[in-house]
Amino acid sequence: MDAHIRKVYVPMTETGFYILLCLRREQHGYGIVQQVKELTHGEICLSPGTMYGSLSKMEKDGLIRFVREEEKRRIYRITPLGTEVLDLEMKRIERLYETMKEAR
Amino acid sequence: MGEHKREFRFFTVADWEEEEAYLSQRHREGWRFTGVRLPGLYGFERCEPQEVAYRLDYNPEGRAHREEYVQMFSDCGWEYIQDYVGYSYFRKAAPASERDAEIFCDDASRLDMMERVMKGRMLPLMVILLMVIVPVLIAEGQRTGPFSRFVTVVYLLILAVYVAVFIKFGVAFRRRTNAK
Repeated sequence: MDAHIRKVYVPMTETGFYILLCLRREQHGYGIVQQVKELTHGEICLSPGTMYGSLSKMEKDGLIRFVREEEKRRIYRITPLGTEVLDLEMKRIERLYETMKEAR
Repeated sequence: MGEHKREFRFFTVADWEEEEAYLSQRHREGWRFTGVRLPGLYGFERCEPQEVAYRLDYNPEGRAHREEYVQMFSDCGWEYIQDYVGYSYFRKAAPASERDAEIFCDDASRLDMMERVMKGRMLPLMVILLMVIVPVLIAEGQRTGPFSRFVTVVYLLILAVYVAVFIKFGVAFRRRTNAK
């Protein structure tokens, strides 16, 4: 993992985290929006400008890859690099959570 | 066919929020936006007054893949209107909440858009400024006579607009960066 990826994605935005989380399975952008809404019980609603920008940025950076197009919707999937970044982020959030619980 | 009207408005490349507010205001007054064309002519048609969110995105990647870009927005309930000098225009009628009326849900992506505007529009403007406007001003400064003075004044006015746009964009950019 190079310095650029580390700088941009560790830690990452909530949007970025949810995108990688959902893309462990093939999915298109709007599918991610719906899945995140379900996962967070409507708490988080990703907006289209954010989604489109994040997906193209993550594809360029090699965290996700384009699989195919279906009815004008681009379907993506996470790459090994993306999985590596997601693991780092999950560990970071776990640590954060543990620390918070101890401090309470 | 209903009643139509055209209005001339000047928004700089750093004024997309003002432009969004202007279009929403017209819709609230019963004028539905039908499109804009150079040099800033905004078309409207009569409609029922309604609360409609208008949003501008700047995304060259999206313009290059228009179908899937527009599909993503329409899946999320946004109607695509048109592209105009790099910006894509969207609207959503009666958004359910403030959050529902936004096309960006975090500051990182808002900042990304500003960076795209900076690379796509502000840098070319800067090049024109440095290669055309400044040399003309320097050359005219050494000449005398009414025509030369006229040219100087016109170019100074353009320079003033330039400086205003750069400052406005810079301030907005700083505000977002600090917020992040």
